[in-house]
Amino acid sequence: MNLKIVALAVSTAFALTAQAQDKPKPPPAWHQGKPPAQAESKLAPHAGKMTETPASQIPVSKLKAPKGFKVELWASGLPGGRAMAVSEDGKKVWVGTRSIGRVYEVTDEGGKRSVRTVIDKLNQPAGVAVNGGALYVFAIDKVLKFNDIASNANAQPEDLTAKFDLPKEQHHNWKYVAFGPDKKLYVPFGAPCNICELPSDEYAQIRRYNADGSGKEVIATGVRNSVGFDWHPKTGELWFTDHGRDWAGDKGFHDELNRLSKAGLNFGFPYCHNNGTPDPDVKKEKACEGMAKPALLLGPHVAAMGIKFYTGKMFPKEYRNVAFIARKGSWNREKPSGFDVVTVRVGADGKGGKITPFLTGFNESKEAYKFWGRPAYIAQMPDGALLVSDEQVGAIYRISYGSAKPAAKK
Amino acid sequence: MQAPGKGRWAWLAALFVSSFAFSQGERLSQCAACHGPDGNSVTQGVPSLAGQPQLFLENQMILFREELRRSPVMTPILAGMKDAEIVALAEHFSKLKARPVAQSPSDREVARKGEALAKKLRCGVCHTANFQGQKQMPRLAGQREDYLVSEMLAYRDGKRSGGDTIMAAALYGVKDEEIRALAHYLSRLP
Repeated sequence: MNLKIVALAVSTAFALTAQAQDKPKPPPAWHQGKPPAQAESKLAPHAGKMTETPASQIPVSKLKAPKGFKVELWASGLPGGRAMAVSEDGKKVWVGTRSIGRVYEVTDEGGKRSVRTVIDKLNQPAGVAVNGGALYVFAIDKVLKFNDIASNANAQPEDLTAKFDLPKEQHHNWKYVAFGPDKKLYVPFGAPCNICELPSDEYAQIRRYNADGSGKEVIATGVRNSVGFDWHPKTGELWFTDHGRDWAGDKGFHDELNRLSKAGLNFGFPYCHNNGTPDPDVKKEKACEGMAKPALLLGPHVAAMGIKFYTGKMFPKEYRNVAFIARKGSWNREKPSGFDVVTVRVGADGKGGKITPFLTGFNESKEAYKFWGRPAYIAQMPDGALLVSDEQVGAIYRISYGSAKPAAKK
Repeated sequence: MQAPGKGRWAWLAALFVSSFAFSQGERLSQCAACHGPDGNSVTQGVPSLAGQPQLFLENQMILFREELRRSPVMTPILAGMKDAEIVALAEHFSKLKARPVAQSPSDREVARKGEALAKKLRCGVCHTANFQGQKQMPRLAGQREDYLVSEMLAYRDGKRSGGDTIMAAALYGVKDEEIRALAHYLSRLP
């Protein structure tokens, strides 16, 4: 059945290519690659919310988790808050944003949370990572390091931008960043388009650097837009989510969960998607030859974001080493998909993956876009509780299990 | 809004009133000085706010406040303004009735060209079929012609800061005269 859809997309793609030829080169755009069949589609990215949502207007009671788990509002008043980096003692959580240009710091003292803005006026500072006592902030065009910020609220940023060789295109170049078990800093560079031949070989890849920006190494290519990764607790291998291309209908393409079994793998973009489907627009001979396949397909257009392999002791044993993945929710789909946190049970070798909904209730309809929240990232606290950020209402939820001591009210 | 000198009144308003705390009534008359008492601007280079989607207005005010969309006029006015006040102002202007303001004489041929272009570029997919806007995407119908021209040029040339990169991409390769035709057409729509 999938083949039929692909065939249709391929035939309609010729018309599109012809149409695009009266411009010098295709624009890097979220709607680039839209086939004539979807030309009049009203689908467009959802609006983010840049104003504070009061705690009283966040319907956390609508969130459903499996029996025995407790979901509570842990922090709010962080418009646009998404990726989280937790200090080593778990007392501070730094939170990156996109449009609003801020990085927040949430401080947990005696069960009460306070929020302050560490820095603002940046160009989509989505990436935050902690290394020792230092906080790294990645905007699209800037890298800042706050030394000792965990102990010194007045820490001033050191500008490391020049060390990281950031390319100039902005689209899909907001970041998720994290330090690996090898103490290296992992940084993705998205494709600056929905689907296109890359303007240079600086894009659609994941790199790693030494903490000071030296030793740049491209470790994965053909990665369209990864904004979430973690390392498998048993193998230490990098696993990353990757957003599939848009404008290919409700059934395609899927977002992926990928396993980097060795450095240097190519994951197919722009020529090959998912389990070996050539792209309908950007073509080459033997498009899928030699391309790494995903460990698991995560659903079409779901916007798979943060991933965290659970290593805590608070949750029941069957959750140990299970991947929690936040699926922020689709826009390029008539029927919504995602808007949840799922657990993925998959072998360390990438085989036998199974997706189970874990946290649901963000979208109040299966048929229509009636969402109030959008889960984006997952962090594990020292006590084994998980934090889930909600980019739509600028809040963080805490998920705990059993008789674990609840967080005191904010 | 952009370069200094475009709206003298805006400068005056910013100079005289930005350091006080306001009631909403006072704040609204501050807005009205440039954007028009009914939210339909008769000031060159200053956009109409009436009938704009509330979320669009909120977002723009936040972008000004955070200095992500740079404007020497708007940033001082928004500096330190609380989210709740921004939401209230956005709600107020979103509920006012938009109407096209008289500017240059209409040129039917240019308007027709603009209409064809708007269709070709599929502006209505986001801004809706009658260009009244939705959510984070502004109303274009009846917006000031000079403002539409200056903002589309700025988007195309990467000079309008803040927000997403969507409009730069949508206007990629569109010529100056095409932008003028689009503005001519859109500014005259009800």
